[in-house]
Amino acid sequence: MAEVVLKGVGKCYGPVVAVRDFNLAIADQEFVALVGPSGCGKSTTLRMVAGLEEITSGVVAIGGRVVNDLPPKDRDIAMVFQNYALYQHMSVRDNLAFGLRNRKVPESEIAAQILRAAKMLGIEPLLERHPRQLSGGQQQRVALGRCLVRNPKVFLFDEPLSNLDAQLRSQMRLELKELRKRVPTTSIYVTHDQVEAMTLGERIVVMKDGLVQQVGSPLDLYRRPANRFVAGFIGSPAMNFIDARVAAAGDDVMIATEGLSLRLTDKVAATLRKHAGNAVVMGVRPQHVMLDGAGGGNLLRFQATLSTSEQLGDQQLLDARLGGTLLRVSGIDAALKLADGTMLTLAMAPENMHFFDAVSGAALG
Amino acid sequence: MTISEAELDRPRKPSLFGERQRFMLLLILPAAFGLAFFQILPILTGANASFRDWSLHDPKMTWVGLKHYFYVLSDDGFLKVVLPNTLVFMAVSVAVSLLLGLCLAAILNRKFAGRAVLQTILLLPLMVAPVVAAIMIRWMFNDQFGVVNAALEAVGLSGQPWLAQRWSAFAVILMADIWLWTPWFALLLLAGLQSLPREPFEAAAIDGASPWRVFRFLTLPMLRPVMVVCIAIRAIDAFRTFDIVWTISAGGPARSTELFSIYAYNEAFQAMNFARGSAAAMIGAAIIVVLAMVIFRVLNRWVEVSK
Repeated sequence: MAEVVLKGVGKCYGPVVAVRDFNLAIADQEFVALVGPSGCGKSTTLRMVAGLEEITSGVVAIGGRVVNDLPPKDRDIAMVFQNYALYQHMSVRDNLAFGLRNRKVPESEIAAQILRAAKMLGIEPLLERHPRQLSGGQQQRVALGRCLVRNPKVFLFDEPLSNLDAQLRSQMRLELKELRKRVPTTSIYVTHDQVEAMTLGERIVVMKDGLVQQVGSPLDLYRRPANRFVAGFIGSPAMNFIDARVAAAGDDVMIATEGLSLRLTDKVAATLRKHAGNAVVMGVRPQHVMLDGAGGGNLLRFQATLSTSEQLGDQQLLDARLGGTLLRVSGIDAALKLADGTMLTLAMAPENMHFFDAVSGAALG
Repeated sequence: MTISEAELDRPRKPSLFGERQRFMLLLILPAAFGLAFFQILPILTGANASFRDWSLHDPKMTWVGLKHYFYVLSDDGFLKVVLPNTLVFMAVSVAVSLLLGLCLAAILNRKFAGRAVLQTILLLPLMVAPVVAAIMIRWMFNDQFGVVNAALEAVGLSGQPWLAQRWSAFAVILMADIWLWTPWFALLLLAGLQSLPREPFEAAAIDGASPWRVFRFLTLPMLRPVMVVCIAIRAIDAFRTFDIVWTISAGGPARSTELFSIYAYNEAFQAMNFARGSAAAMIGAAIIVVLAMVIFRVLNRWVEVSK
């Protein structure tokens, strides 16, 4: 059990900067997810904590001790790899025992630890098998077991579910969550899948191009994305972005784009007033656009042409043409029959609208 | 183009000599010719000769059955010198060059300054023709003019007639063979090492495995398939070694360092008894076939276990 602190951590490969000025304090027993597109530096950051990559600049501390120059084995961490990285020619039991035997733990205690971990993961019947005789999900459980037996200060997960098929992935995600309740060790979890990050992470770090974009709780990121990238990355289907212009006329603040002109009220108007005359990007999640908004007096209504609809069974996804952009709308009643080309009246609540600087992408407000 | 269902259902008749097949036959023809005339024909001729009275100065070619086989198999020189020599040569040469090659590969697999230079130097023996190397070594160990004796005498030790004694001559031959083949092992094992996945080693680094335990429990087992192929190829190859021995000692002194191939050669072309030499060669072939099967069986199980 330990807190992990990264201060100004950076990594360069020659002239290529992989990670830039990474600052994060992870509390004891906290589960932090690093998420971002491939090549964003999340794995590199994790590997620097693990000691598998040298740290170019900054400081990494685990449990109050700076570990920059410590080899991986002395950092008291355990890591789960994307491709499991099991020792293929050893039985599952020996795989679990290897780390303990390296540390000259007495065999009786090794056996006890293996039994404890195997029971927890339900891999007891597999102990005498070899990794190649196991399915992907079972192999990843063994990899988890290899971490559990050691009782490390920190768990590091490097895209542990990416090699599994979709169904198994969601099942393993649940199992990880269950496991977490019993073993609340400090964890860093790297993934490119925002769903995994949202469901598992108590706090999420969104990265892009080696830079931290935003740190926050899942709901924080979803409700108050710090910039356009985070807004588009978190949430599925992805947020709609519409290039628009802010105009102020007397008391009114208008947001306008081709085929759309909305009068903003209250708080939103107040925040946008100082950007009057500027180009902005308006963002709204597909879930937050409603068809023909039945109730609610403060809804903003506008017209758009239905371009295509996608039937998912439980709901429909609509693509509505609004001027030059396509607006995605989700959560539409599956039974509703809509012909392509229909003129739709759509509505959204002002508090669900996000505004970003057209150039920097930073959230306005 | 439409294809009727009947056409689809009809089993395709494999035409033996379609255009494609004719082209393939054409391509393997030169190699097949070479194989037939320079390998299969001589083997058949030799096999035929081994059952006949076929000395080179008076080839009567009369059928004598297994006479030559009985001769070879009851020849003390063959049983007590040639066969043990060959097997010891094979085992020691393969084992030592495998071991040295493994060490070299492990060293070269690490990053250090001057690695490329060292690698090139270590691979030099591969570029030397075995006969050239053997001549060099024969001169080095020459009892009167050799550099080895000169060096020994310079430090006050007495020189040895290296190639005039059975075991020292045998050791020199072995050394030459090991020197020649270690880089070959190193090269293949290095390629094997570099193709190993990185993650298990990272996992082991986190698991706190010492370098020795990593080597013993990860590298070695993961490298087994490559090692098995190397051992199999080299073991069979070592069994038929001729050039080095012939050049360094010619099987001497007093036929005491003869390997099986030298024995067959001597019988056929020195004693001018083509039939007896052929019989020895056939026996050798039989031994190596059996040996190869055993080696493959054992090594296969070894790989199986390591999986």
